[in-house]
Amino acid sequence: MAKGIKIKFHPPLAITLLILGFFVFIPMLSAFEYSIRTPLTGGYGWDHYLWAIREEDFFHYILRSMWLAGVTVLITLFVLVPTLTWLHLSNSKVRGLIDGLSLLPLVIPVVAFAVGAQISFPEFVQNTVLELPFLYFVLALPYAFRSLDIGLNSIPLKTITEAARSAGANWLRTITTIIVPVIRGSVMATIALTFALSLGEYTLTVLLHWDTFPTWVTYVAQENILGAIAISMMSLIIPFLILTIITLFVPERSTQGRK
Amino acid sequence: MTSQVIEGGAPSRGRAFLASFIKNILPAVPLLLIVGFFFLFPIGRLIYVSFMSNENTFTFDNFKTAVQEPYRTGFVNSIKIGVFSAAIAAFPGAIAAYFIETRGSSKLRRTIAVMSGVLANTGGVPLAFMFYAALGIQGYLTKVLKSLGWDLYSGTFSLGSFIGLLIVYLYFQLPLMIIVFSPAIVSLRREWSEAARNLGANQFNYWIRIGIPLLFPSFIASFLLLFASGFSAYATANALTVGNLPLTPLQIGGLLDGNVSAAQLNLGKALGVVMIVISACAVIPYLAIQRRSAKWQKG
Repeated sequence: MAKGIKIKFHPPLAITLLILGFFVFIPMLSAFEYSIRTPLTGGYGWDHYLWAIREEDFFHYILRSMWLAGVTVLITLFVLVPTLTWLHLSNSKVRGLIDGLSLLPLVIPVVAFAVGAQISFPEFVQNTVLELPFLYFVLALPYAFRSLDIGLNSIPLKTITEAARSAGANWLRTITTIIVPVIRGSVMATIALTFALSLGEYTLTVLLHWDTFPTWVTYVAQENILGAIAISMMSLIIPFLILTIITLFVPERSTQGRK
Repeated sequence: MTSQVIEGGAPSRGRAFLASFIKNILPAVPLLLIVGFFFLFPIGRLIYVSFMSNENTFTFDNFKTAVQEPYRTGFVNSIKIGVFSAAIAAFPGAIAAYFIETRGSSKLRRTIAVMSGVLANTGGVPLAFMFYAALGIQGYLTKVLKSLGWDLYSGTFSLGSFIGLLIVYLYFQLPLMIIVFSPAIVSLRREWSEAARNLGANQFNYWIRIGIPLLFPSFIASFLLLFASGFSAYATANALTVGNLPLTPLQIGGLLDGNVSAAQLNLGKALGVVMIVISACAVIPYLAIQRRSAKWQKG
Protein backbone atom coordinates (compact mmCIF):
# COMPACT_ATOMS: atom_id res chain seq x y z
CA MET A 1 0.00 0.00 0.00
CA ALA A 2 2.65 2.48 1.07
CA LYS A 3 4.57 1.85 -2.11
CA GLY A 4 1.65 2.85 -4.30
CA ILE A 5 1.49 6.33 -2.82
CA LYS A 6 4.99 7.23 -3.96
CA ILE A 7 4.55 8.90 -7.33
CA LYS A 8 7.59 9.28 -9.50
CA PHE A 9 7.53 12.19 -11.87
CA HIS A 10 8.32 11.47 -15.52
CA PRO A 11 7.83 14.37 -17.93
CA PRO A 12 6.70 12.29 -20.94
CA LEU A 13 4.27 10.33 -18.79
CA ALA A 14 2.97 13.49 -17.17
CA ILE A 15 2.40 15.15 -20.54
CA THR A 16 0.66 12.02 -21.85
CA LEU A 17 -1.63 11.87 -18.83
CA LEU A 18 -2.34 15.58 -19.06
CA ILE A 19 -3.42 15.38 -22.70
CA LEU A 20 -5.45 12.21 -22.13
CA GLY A 21 -6.97 13.78 -19.05
CA PHE A 22 -8.08 16.86 -21.01
CA PHE A 23 -9.57 14.75 -23.73
CA VAL A 24 -11.41 12.47 -21.31
CA PHE A 25 -12.51 14.91 -18.66
CA ILE A 26 -13.48 18.05 -20.59
CA PRO A 27 -16.55 16.41 -22.18
CA MET A 28 -17.30 14.54 -18.96
CA LEU A 29 -17.10 17.59 -16.71
CA SER A 30 -19.01 19.75 -19.19
CA ALA A 31 -21.86 17.25 -19.12
CA PHE A 32 -21.59 17.07 -15.34
CA GLU A 33 -21.93 20.83 -15.09
CA TYR A 34 -25.10 20.66 -17.13
CA SER A 35 -26.46 17.91 -14.93
CA ILE A 36 -26.16 19.99 -11.73
CA ARG A 37 -27.67 23.16 -13.20
CA THR A 38 -30.94 24.33 -11.73
CA PRO A 39 -32.53 26.57 -14.36
CA LEU A 40 -35.20 27.87 -11.94
CA THR A 41 -32.76 29.37 -9.47
CA GLY A 42 -29.89 29.81 -11.87
CA GLY A 43 -27.56 28.05 -9.44
CA TYR A 44 -26.37 24.54 -8.93
CA GLY A 45 -27.87 21.62 -7.12
CA TRP A 46 -28.57 17.90 -7.21
CA ASP A 47 -32.15 18.42 -8.39
CA HIS A 48 -31.87 16.33 -11.53
CA TYR A 49 -30.21 13.45 -9.76
CA LEU A 50 -32.94 13.50 -7.11
CA TRP A 51 -35.57 13.74 -9.83
CA ALA A 52 -34.08 10.71 -11.59
CA ILE A 53 -33.88 8.65 -8.44
CA ARG A 54 -37.47 9.52 -7.56
CA GLU A 55 -38.66 8.32 -10.96
CA GLU A 56 -40.32 4.97 -10.55
CA ASP A 57 -38.72 3.74 -13.75
CA PHE A 58 -35.23 4.52 -12.53
CA PHE A 59 -35.10 1.63 -10.09
CA HIS A 60 -37.17 -0.56 -12.32
CA TYR A 61 -34.68 -0.28 -15.17
CA ILE A 62 -31.51 -0.17 -13.15
CA LEU A 63 -32.54 -3.30 -11.27
CA ARG A 64 -33.49 -4.97 -14.52
CA SER A 65 -30.13 -4.13 -16.10
CA MET A 66 -28.33 -5.29 -12.97
CA TRP A 67 -30.03 -8.66 -12.80
CA LEU A 68 -29.64 -9.23 -16.52
CA ALA A 69 -25.93 -8.48 -16.13
CA GLY A 70 -25.83 -10.77 -13.10
CA VAL A 71 -27.40 -13.63 -15.03
CA THR A 72 -24.92 -13.06 -17.87
CA VAL A 73 -22.04 -13.31 -15.40
CA LEU A 74 -23.48 -16.54 -13.95
CA ILE A 75 -23.90 -18.10 -17.40
CA THR A 76 -20.36 -17.07 -18.31
CA LEU A 77 -18.81 -18.59 -15.21
CA PHE A 78 -20.95 -21.73 -15.11
CA VAL A 79 -20.29 -22.54 -18.74
CA LEU A 80 -16.75 -21.32 -19.25
CA VAL A 81 -14.92 -22.32 -16.08
CA PRO A 82 -15.71 -26.07 -16.27
CA THR A 83 -15.37 -26.17 -20.06
CA LEU A 84 -12.01 -24.42 -20.03
CA THR A 85 -10.73 -26.50 -17.13
CA TRP A 86 -11.63 -29.61 -19.05
CA LEU A 87 -10.06 -28.26 -22.26
CA HIS A 88 -6.82 -27.57 -20.45
CA LEU A 89 -6.70 -31.01 -18.86
CA SER A 90 -7.80 -33.22 -21.71
CA ASN A 91 -5.93 -32.13 -24.86
CA SER A 92 -9.21 -32.71 -26.64
CA LYS A 93 -9.40 -32.43 -30.39
CA VAL A 94 -12.20 -29.88 -30.12
CA ARG A 95 -9.82 -27.39 -28.49
CA GLY A 96 -8.98 -25.66 -31.77
CA LEU A 97 -12.63 -25.54 -32.76
CA ILE A 98 -13.69 -23.98 -29.47
CA ASP A 99 -10.81 -21.47 -29.55
CA GLY A 100 -11.94 -20.34 -32.96
CA LEU A 101 -15.61 -20.22 -32.00
CA SER A 102 -14.89 -18.13 -28.94
CA LEU A 103 -13.28 -15.44 -31.10
CA LEU A 104 -15.92 -15.45 -33.81
CA PRO A 105 -18.21 -12.87 -32.14
CA LEU A 106 -15.45 -10.28 -32.65
CA VAL A 107 -15.89 -10.68 -36.40
CA ILE A 108 -19.63 -10.04 -36.44
CA PRO A 109 -20.84 -6.42 -36.10
CA VAL A 110 -23.47 -6.22 -33.37
CA VAL A 111 -25.99 -4.69 -35.77
CA ALA A 112 -25.73 -7.70 -38.08
CA PHE A 113 -26.00 -10.04 -35.08
CA ALA A 114 -29.15 -8.21 -33.99
CA VAL A 115 -30.74 -8.69 -37.41
CA GLY A 116 -29.90 -12.38 -37.29
CA ALA A 117 -31.29 -12.73 -33.77
CA GLN A 118 -34.51 -10.99 -34.74
CA ILE A 119 -35.31 -13.39 -37.57
CA SER A 120 -34.12 -16.64 -35.98
CA PHE A 121 -35.46 -17.39 -32.56
CA PRO A 122 -38.75 -19.18 -31.93
CA GLU A 123 -41.37 -17.10 -30.18
CA PHE A 124 -40.93 -18.54 -26.73
CA VAL A 125 -37.35 -17.26 -26.82
CA GLN A 126 -38.19 -13.86 -28.32
CA ASN A 127 -40.91 -13.31 -25.74
CA THR A 128 -38.65 -13.57 -22.73
CA VAL A 129 -36.14 -11.00 -21.67
CA LEU A 130 -33.97 -13.95 -20.63
CA GLU A 131 -32.77 -14.17 -24.23
CA LEU A 132 -30.64 -11.09 -23.54
CA PRO A 133 -28.20 -12.67 -21.04
CA PHE A 134 -27.43 -15.42 -23.54
CA LEU A 135 -26.84 -12.88 -26.30
CA TYR A 136 -24.71 -10.74 -23.96
CA PHE A 137 -22.80 -13.91 -23.12
CA VAL A 138 -21.99 -14.30 -26.81
CA LEU A 139 -20.85 -10.67 -27.07
CA ALA A 140 -18.59 -11.03 -24.03
CA LEU A 141 -17.34 -14.49 -25.00
CA PRO A 142 -14.10 -13.46 -26.80
CA TYR A 143 -12.95 -11.43 -23.79
CA ALA A 144 -14.22 -13.77 -21.06
CA PHE A 145 -12.76 -16.83 -22.75
CA ARG A 146 -9.35 -15.23 -23.21
CA SER A 147 -9.20 -13.88 -19.70
CA LEU A 148 -10.01 -17.27 -18.12
CA ASP A 149 -7.73 -19.04 -20.56
CA ILE A 150 -4.77 -16.88 -19.53
CA GLY A 151 -5.60 -17.54 -15.88
CA LEU A 152 -5.68 -21.32 -16.33
CA ASN A 153 -2.49 -21.21 -18.40
CA SER A 154 -0.57 -19.53 -15.63
CA ILE A 155 -1.18 -22.19 -12.96
CA PRO A 156 -0.06 -25.82 -12.67
CA LEU A 157 -3.62 -26.96 -13.28
CA LYS A 158 -2.89 -30.66 -13.65
CA THR A 159 -1.00 -30.94 -10.36
CA ILE A 160 -3.63 -28.96 -8.49
CA THR A 161 -6.57 -30.98 -9.78
CA GLU A 162 -4.81 -34.30 -9.25
CA ALA A 163 -4.04 -33.32 -5.68
CA ALA A 164 -7.63 -32.23 -5.06
CA ARG A 165 -9.03 -35.36 -6.69
CA SER A 166 -6.78 -37.73 -4.79
CA ALA A 167 -7.71 -35.98 -1.57
CA GLY A 168 -11.28 -37.02 -2.33
CA ALA A 169 -12.82 -33.88 -3.80
CA ASN A 170 -15.32 -34.41 -6.58
CA TRP A 171 -15.22 -32.27 -9.73
CA LEU A 172 -17.72 -29.72 -8.47
CA ARG A 173 -15.73 -29.23 -5.29
CA THR A 174 -12.44 -29.14 -7.15
CA ILE A 175 -13.65 -26.39 -9.44
CA THR A 176 -15.47 -24.26 -6.88
CA THR A 177 -13.10 -24.52 -3.94
CA ILE A 178 -9.73 -25.03 -5.62
CA ILE A 179 -9.57 -23.82 -9.20
CA VAL A 180 -11.73 -20.71 -8.96
CA PRO A 181 -9.92 -19.33 -5.89
CA VAL A 182 -6.53 -20.00 -7.49
CA ILE A 183 -7.40 -18.10 -10.65
CA ARG A 184 -9.51 -15.47 -8.83
CA GLY A 185 -7.67 -12.67 -10.60
CA SER A 186 -8.88 -13.70 -14.01
CA VAL A 187 -12.26 -14.75 -12.63
CA MET A 188 -12.69 -11.24 -11.24
CA ALA A 189 -11.53 -9.68 -14.50
CA THR A 190 -14.02 -11.86 -16.35
CA ILE A 191 -16.84 -10.86 -13.99
CA ALA A 192 -15.92 -7.19 -14.32
CA LEU A 193 -15.86 -7.07 -18.10
CA THR A 194 -18.92 -9.27 -18.59
CA PHE A 195 -20.87 -7.23 -16.08
CA ALA A 196 -19.81 -3.91 -17.57
CA LEU A 197 -20.52 -5.02 -21.11
CA SER A 198 -24.00 -6.31 -20.21
CA LEU A 199 -24.84 -3.24 -18.16
CA GLY A 200 -24.02 -0.87 -20.98
CA GLU A 201 -25.19 -2.87 -23.98
CA TYR A 202 -27.39 -0.70 -26.17
CA THR A 203 -27.38 -1.75 -29.84
CA LEU A 204 -28.62 -5.32 -29.53
CA THR A 205 -31.09 -4.45 -26.79
CA VAL A 206 -32.73 -1.59 -28.64
CA LEU A 207 -32.85 -3.39 -31.99
CA LEU A 208 -34.57 -6.35 -30.34
CA HIS A 209 -37.03 -3.89 -28.75
CA TRP A 210 -36.15 -4.50 -25.13
CA ASP A 211 -35.96 -1.76 -22.53
CA THR A 212 -33.03 -1.63 -20.15
CA PHE A 213 -31.27 1.15 -18.33
CA PRO A 214 -29.21 2.32 -21.34
CA THR A 215 -32.23 2.42 -23.66
CA TRP A 216 -34.42 4.10 -21.05
CA VAL A 217 -32.09 7.13 -21.05
CA THR A 218 -33.10 7.74 -24.66
CA TYR A 219 -36.75 8.08 -23.68
CA VAL A 220 -36.01 10.33 -20.73
CA ALA A 221 -34.00 12.62 -23.03
CA GLN A 222 -37.22 13.46 -24.86
CA GLU A 223 -39.03 14.76 -21.78
CA ASN A 224 -36.35 16.00 -19.39
CA ILE A 225 -33.02 16.64 -21.03
CA LEU A 226 -31.13 17.70 -17.88
CA GLY A 227 -32.54 14.70 -16.02
CA ALA A 228 -31.33 12.49 -18.84
CA ILE A 229 -27.87 14.02 -18.60
CA ALA A 230 -27.87 13.28 -14.87
CA ILE A 231 -28.84 9.67 -15.59
CA SER A 232 -26.12 9.45 -18.24
CA MET A 233 -23.53 10.61 -15.74
CA MET A 234 -24.70 7.94 -13.34
CA SER A 235 -24.56 5.33 -16.09
CA LEU A 236 -20.87 6.21 -16.52
CA ILE A 237 -20.04 6.37 -12.84
CA ILE A 238 -21.78 3.16 -11.73
CA PRO A 239 -19.82 0.73 -13.97
CA PHE A 240 -16.67 2.70 -13.24
CA LEU A 241 -17.14 2.22 -9.49
CA ILE A 242 -18.04 -1.44 -9.84
CA LEU A 243 -15.02 -2.11 -12.03
CA THR A 244 -12.70 -0.15 -9.78
CA ILE A 245 -13.87 -2.05 -6.73
CA ILE A 246 -13.50 -5.39 -8.46
CA THR A 247 -10.07 -4.76 -9.99
CA LEU A 248 -8.41 -2.79 -7.23
CA PHE A 249 -9.50 -5.06 -4.41
CA VAL A 250 -8.07 -8.19 -5.92
CA PRO A 251 -4.44 -8.64 -4.90
CA GLU A 252 -2.21 -8.02 -7.87
CA ARG A 253 -0.28 -11.26 -7.51
CA SER A 254 -3.28 -13.11 -8.82
CA THR A 255 -4.07 -10.84 -11.73
CA GLN A 256 -2.33 -12.80 -14.41
CA GLY A 257 -0.72 -11.67 -17.57
CA ARG A 258 2.61 -10.57 -16.10
CA LYS A 259 4.73 -13.48 -15.24
CA MET B 1 -20.19 -68.50 -33.82
CA THR B 2 -19.42 -65.67 -36.19
CA SER B 3 -22.76 -64.05 -35.73
CA GLN B 4 -22.28 -64.21 -31.99
CA VAL B 5 -18.96 -62.41 -32.24
CA ILE B 6 -20.46 -59.74 -34.42
CA GLU B 7 -23.36 -59.29 -32.08
CA GLY B 8 -21.03 -59.21 -29.14
CA GLY B 9 -18.71 -56.77 -30.86
CA ALA B 10 -21.20 -54.19 -31.91
CA PRO B 11 -22.40 -53.02 -28.49
CA SER B 12 -18.89 -52.72 -27.16
CA ARG B 13 -17.93 -50.64 -30.15
CA GLY B 14 -20.97 -48.53 -29.40
CA ARG B 15 -19.86 -48.25 -25.83
CA ALA B 16 -16.37 -47.30 -26.94
CA PHE B 17 -17.83 -44.57 -29.08
CA LEU B 18 -19.92 -43.42 -26.15
CA ALA B 19 -16.90 -43.43 -23.86
CA SER B 20 -14.84 -41.49 -26.34
CA PHE B 21 -17.71 -39.05 -26.82
CA ILE B 22 -17.98 -38.52 -23.08
CA LYS B 23 -14.26 -38.05 -22.81
CA ASN B 24 -13.68 -35.90 -25.87
CA ILE B 25 -16.77 -33.83 -26.48
CA LEU B 26 -19.42 -34.06 -23.76
CA PRO B 27 -17.96 -31.41 -21.42
CA ALA B 28 -17.98 -28.94 -24.31
CA VAL B 29 -21.64 -29.56 -25.11
CA PRO B 30 -23.17 -26.76 -22.98
CA LEU B 31 -20.88 -24.18 -24.54
CA LEU B 32 -21.38 -25.56 -28.03
CA LEU B 33 -25.16 -25.59 -27.55
CA ILE B 34 -25.34 -22.00 -26.36
CA VAL B 35 -22.94 -20.69 -29.00
CA GLY B 36 -24.66 -22.80 -31.63
CA PHE B 37 -28.19 -21.70 -30.83
CA PHE B 38 -27.62 -18.09 -29.81
CA PHE B 39 -24.85 -17.24 -32.25
CA LEU B 40 -24.16 -19.60 -35.15
CA PHE B 41 -27.83 -20.23 -35.84
CA PRO B 42 -28.80 -16.52 -36.12
CA ILE B 43 -25.75 -15.75 -38.25
CA GLY B 44 -26.39 -18.75 -40.48
CA ARG B 45 -30.01 -17.78 -40.86
CA LEU B 46 -29.05 -14.17 -41.60
CA ILE B 47 -26.81 -15.34 -44.43
CA TYR B 48 -29.45 -17.74 -45.72
CA VAL B 49 -32.27 -15.19 -45.66
CA SER B 50 -30.11 -12.55 -47.34
CA PHE B 51 -30.30 -14.68 -50.51
CA MET B 52 -34.10 -14.91 -50.38
CA SER B 53 -36.46 -12.83 -52.47
CA ASN B 54 -39.81 -11.61 -51.12
CA GLU B 55 -41.31 -14.83 -52.52
CA ASN B 56 -38.71 -16.95 -50.72
CA THR B 57 -36.88 -17.93 -53.87
CA PHE B 58 -33.13 -17.77 -54.27
CA THR B 59 -31.85 -14.43 -55.55
CA PHE B 60 -28.85 -12.10 -55.63
CA ASP B 61 -31.05 -9.02 -55.90
CA ASN B 62 -30.72 -8.04 -52.24
CA PHE B 63 -26.99 -7.78 -52.71
CA LYS B 64 -27.35 -5.90 -55.97
CA THR B 65 -29.48 -3.29 -54.19
CA ALA B 66 -27.12 -3.30 -51.20
CA VAL B 67 -24.24 -1.99 -53.30
CA GLN B 68 -26.30 0.71 -55.01
CA GLU B 69 -27.25 4.14 -53.72
CA PRO B 70 -28.05 5.15 -51.03
CA TYR B 71 -26.48 2.08 -49.47
CA ARG B 72 -23.23 2.48 -51.38
CA THR B 73 -22.70 5.89 -49.76
CA GLY B 74 -23.52 4.26 -46.42
CA PHE B 75 -20.71 1.75 -46.86
CA VAL B 76 -18.28 4.39 -48.12
CA ASN B 77 -19.02 6.62 -45.12
CA SER B 78 -18.82 3.73 -42.64
CA ILE B 79 -15.52 2.53 -44.04
CA LYS B 80 -14.20 6.08 -44.09
CA ILE B 81 -15.16 6.74 -40.48
CA GLY B 82 -13.66 3.38 -39.47
CA VAL B 83 -10.35 4.11 -41.24
CA PHE B 84 -10.05 7.73 -40.14
CA SER B 85 -11.04 7.16 -36.52
CA ALA B 86 -8.61 4.22 -36.31
CA ALA B 87 -5.82 6.15 -38.04
CA ILE B 88 -6.19 9.18 -35.81
CA ALA B 89 -6.46 7.17 -32.59
CA ALA B 90 -3.77 4.57 -33.32
CA PHE B 91 -0.59 6.61 -33.05
CA PRO B 92 -1.40 8.75 -29.97
CA GLY B 93 -2.94 5.67 -28.33
CA ALA B 94 0.19 3.63 -28.95
CA ILE B 95 2.43 6.38 -27.54
CA ALA B 96 0.18 6.81 -24.51
CA ALA B 97 0.21 3.04 -23.94
CA TYR B 98 4.01 3.08 -24.18
CA PHE B 99 4.53 5.78 -21.55
CA ILE B 100 1.87 4.38 -19.24
CA GLU B 101 3.20 0.83 -19.39
CA THR B 102 6.91 1.67 -19.18
CA ARG B 103 6.88 4.62 -16.80
CA GLY B 104 3.67 4.25 -14.82
CA SER B 105 3.40 2.74 -11.36
CA SER B 106 1.41 -0.44 -10.96
CA LYS B 107 -1.47 1.44 -9.40
CA LEU B 108 -1.58 3.96 -12.24
CA ARG B 109 -1.53 1.18 -14.83
CA ARG B 110 -4.42 -0.58 -13.20
CA THR B 111 -6.44 2.61 -12.84
CA ILE B 112 -5.86 3.42 -16.52
CA ALA B 113 -6.85 -0.14 -17.43
CA VAL B 114 -10.15 0.20 -15.58
CA MET B 115 -10.84 3.64 -17.04
CA SER B 116 -9.99 2.51 -20.55
CA GLY B 117 -12.34 -0.44 -20.10
CA VAL B 118 -15.20 1.85 -19.15
CA LEU B 119 -14.42 4.54 -21.73
CA ALA B 120 -13.98 2.09 -24.61
CA ASN B 121 -17.53 0.95 -23.88
CA THR B 122 -19.09 4.40 -23.70
CA GLY B 123 -21.36 5.28 -26.53
CA GLY B 124 -24.85 6.21 -27.42
CA VAL B 125 -26.79 8.90 -25.65
CA PRO B 126 -24.42 9.42 -22.70
CA LEU B 127 -21.49 10.02 -25.04
CA ALA B 128 -23.60 12.31 -27.20
CA PHE B 129 -24.52 14.40 -24.13
CA MET B 130 -20.90 14.77 -23.14
CA PHE B 131 -19.98 16.12 -26.53
CA TYR B 132 -23.01 18.36 -26.80
CA ALA B 133 -21.97 19.83 -23.46
CA ALA B 134 -18.39 20.33 -24.63
CA LEU B 135 -18.55 20.94 -28.36
CA GLY B 136 -22.22 21.66 -29.02
CA ILE B 137 -23.33 25.14 -30.06
CA GLN B 138 -23.59 26.11 -26.37
CA GLY B 139 -20.69 23.89 -25.33
CA TYR B 140 -17.86 24.94 -23.06
CA LEU B 141 -15.05 24.20 -25.41
CA THR B 142 -16.94 25.89 -28.22
CA LYS B 143 -17.16 29.06 -26.11
CA VAL B 144 -13.51 28.90 -25.14
CA LEU B 145 -12.46 28.40 -28.75
CA LYS B 146 -14.71 31.26 -29.82
CA SER B 147 -13.15 33.59 -27.29
CA LEU B 148 -9.80 32.57 -28.74
CA GLY B 149 -11.03 33.57 -32.17
CA TRP B 150 -12.00 30.18 -33.62
CA ASP B 151 -15.71 29.91 -34.27
CA LEU B 152 -16.37 26.22 -34.78
CA TYR B 153 -19.88 26.81 -36.00
CA SER B 154 -19.05 29.47 -38.59
CA GLY B 155 -18.94 26.80 -41.29
CA THR B 156 -20.93 23.61 -41.71
CA PHE B 157 -19.61 21.91 -38.58
CA SER B 158 -22.02 20.02 -36.38
CA LEU B 159 -21.58 17.04 -34.10
CA GLY B 160 -23.80 15.02 -36.42
CA SER B 161 -21.55 15.67 -39.42
CA PHE B 162 -18.75 13.37 -40.51
CA ILE B 163 -16.05 15.45 -38.79
CA GLY B 164 -18.17 15.78 -35.65
CA LEU B 165 -18.81 12.06 -35.45
CA LEU B 166 -15.13 11.40 -36.05
CA ILE B 167 -14.15 13.51 -33.03
CA VAL B 168 -16.74 11.77 -30.86
CA TYR B 169 -15.59 8.30 -31.98
CA LEU B 170 -12.07 9.09 -30.80
CA TYR B 171 -13.46 9.12 -27.29
CA PHE B 172 -13.85 5.34 -27.32
CA GLN B 173 -11.23 4.54 -29.99
CA LEU B 174 -8.32 6.02 -28.03
CA PRO B 175 -8.96 3.96 -24.87
CA LEU B 176 -9.53 0.90 -27.05
CA MET B 177 -6.11 1.43 -28.64
CA ILE B 178 -4.52 1.66 -25.19
CA ILE B 179 -6.22 -1.61 -24.19
CA VAL B 180 -5.27 -3.62 -27.26
CA PHE B 181 -1.76 -2.23 -27.72
CA SER B 182 -0.57 -2.38 -24.10
CA PRO B 183 0.16 -6.14 -24.07
CA ALA B 184 2.62 -5.65 -26.93
CA ILE B 185 4.47 -2.96 -24.96
CA VAL B 186 4.57 -5.14 -21.85
CA SER B 187 6.23 -7.90 -23.83
CA LEU B 188 9.10 -5.66 -24.98
CA ARG B 189 11.75 -6.79 -22.59
CA ARG B 190 14.18 -4.46 -20.92
CA GLU B 191 16.99 -6.94 -21.63
CA TRP B 192 16.62 -6.30 -25.33
CA SER B 193 17.20 -2.59 -25.07
CA GLU B 194 20.09 -3.23 -22.69
CA ALA B 195 21.58 -5.82 -25.00
CA ALA B 196 21.27 -3.42 -27.92
CA ARG B 197 22.98 -0.69 -25.93
CA ASN B 198 25.80 -3.04 -24.94
CA LEU B 199 26.34 -3.79 -28.60
CA GLY B 200 26.71 -0.07 -29.24
CA ALA B 201 23.24 0.91 -30.39
CA ASN B 202 21.88 4.28 -29.37
CA GLN B 203 18.24 4.95 -28.57
CA PHE B 204 17.48 5.70 -32.23
CA ASN B 205 19.14 2.50 -33.51
CA TYR B 206 17.27 0.48 -30.93
CA TRP B 207 13.90 1.79 -32.06
CA ILE B 208 14.61 1.51 -35.79
CA ARG B 209 16.13 -1.96 -35.64
CA ILE B 210 14.34 -3.62 -32.71
CA GLY B 211 11.51 -1.72 -31.06
CA ILE B 212 9.49 -0.65 -34.10
CA PRO B 213 9.89 -3.93 -36.05
CA LEU B 214 8.73 -5.83 -32.96
CA LEU B 215 5.77 -3.59 -32.27
CA PHE B 216 4.73 -3.02 -35.86
CA PRO B 217 2.62 -6.20 -36.30
CA SER B 218 0.71 -5.49 -33.08
CA PHE B 219 0.26 -1.89 -34.17
CA ILE B 220 -1.28 -2.96 -37.47
CA ALA B 221 -3.42 -5.53 -35.66
CA SER B 222 -4.70 -2.91 -33.23
CA PHE B 223 -5.43 -0.56 -36.13
CA LEU B 224 -7.52 -3.28 -37.77
CA LEU B 225 -9.52 -3.88 -34.60
CA LEU B 226 -10.11 -0.15 -34.21
CA PHE B 227 -11.29 0.01 -37.79
CA ALA B 228 -13.83 -2.76 -37.11
CA SER B 229 -14.99 -0.96 -33.98
CA GLY B 230 -15.49 2.38 -35.75
CA PHE B 231 -16.98 0.76 -38.82
CA SER B 232 -19.71 -1.07 -36.90
CA ALA B 233 -20.49 1.48 -34.17
CA TYR B 234 -24.24 2.03 -34.00
CA ALA B 235 -25.31 3.60 -30.71
CA THR B 236 -23.28 6.79 -30.92
CA ALA B 237 -24.05 7.45 -34.56
CA ASN B 238 -27.71 6.85 -33.82
CA ALA B 239 -27.67 9.38 -30.98
CA LEU B 240 -25.83 12.11 -32.88
CA THR B 241 -26.99 12.05 -36.47
CA VAL B 242 -30.49 12.85 -37.62
CA GLY B 243 -30.53 11.04 -40.90
CA ASN B 244 -28.13 13.53 -42.45
CA LEU B 245 -25.19 11.15 -42.61
CA PRO B 246 -25.79 7.78 -44.27
CA LEU B 247 -23.97 5.03 -42.37
CA THR B 248 -24.58 1.31 -42.90
CA PRO B 249 -25.35 0.39 -39.25
CA LEU B 250 -27.98 3.15 -39.14
CA GLN B 251 -29.46 2.05 -42.45
CA ILE B 252 -29.76 -1.50 -41.15
CA GLY B 253 -31.32 -0.26 -37.92
CA GLY B 254 -33.83 1.78 -39.92
CA LEU B 255 -34.80 -1.18 -42.06
CA LEU B 256 -35.05 -3.42 -38.99
CA ASP B 257 -37.35 -1.04 -37.16
CA GLY B 258 -39.50 -0.55 -40.23
CA ASN B 259 -38.75 3.20 -40.15
CA VAL B 260 -37.49 2.90 -43.67
CA SER B 261 -39.33 0.76 -46.15
CA ALA B 262 -37.63 -1.01 -48.97
CA ALA B 263 -39.11 -2.95 -51.86
CA GLN B 264 -36.99 -5.91 -50.82
CA LEU B 265 -37.87 -7.33 -47.41
CA ASN B 266 -34.50 -8.94 -46.98
CA LEU B 267 -32.34 -6.01 -47.99
CA GLY B 268 -31.36 -5.34 -44.36
CA LYS B 269 -30.04 -8.89 -44.08
CA ALA B 270 -27.91 -8.46 -47.20
CA LEU B 271 -26.48 -5.22 -45.78
CA GLY B 272 -25.71 -7.13 -42.58
CA VAL B 273 -23.89 -9.84 -44.51
CA VAL B 274 -21.81 -7.27 -46.41
CA MET B 275 -20.93 -5.67 -43.07
CA ILE B 276 -19.82 -9.04 -41.72
CA VAL B 277 -17.60 -9.57 -44.77
CA ILE B 278 -15.96 -6.14 -44.43
CA SER B 279 -15.52 -6.56 -40.69
CA ALA B 280 -14.07 -10.05 -41.19
CA CYS B 281 -11.47 -8.61 -43.60
CA ALA B 282 -10.13 -6.58 -40.65
CA VAL B 283 -10.74 -8.82 -37.64
CA ILE B 284 -9.43 -12.09 -39.07
CA PRO B 285 -6.00 -10.62 -39.93
CA TYR B 286 -6.07 -8.99 -36.48
CA LEU B 287 -6.61 -12.39 -34.83
CA ALA B 288 -3.95 -14.02 -37.02
CA ILE B 289 -1.35 -11.38 -36.13
CA GLN B 290 -2.28 -11.57 -32.45
CA ARG B 291 -1.82 -15.32 -32.47
CA ARG B 292 1.59 -15.07 -34.14
CA SER B 293 2.91 -12.39 -31.86
CA ALA B 294 1.48 -14.16 -28.79
CA LYS B 295 4.08 -16.86 -29.44
CA TRP B 296 7.14 -14.72 -28.93
CA GLN B 297 5.42 -12.50 -26.38
CA LYS B 298 4.95 -15.51 -24.15
CA GLY B 299 8.43 -16.93 -24.75
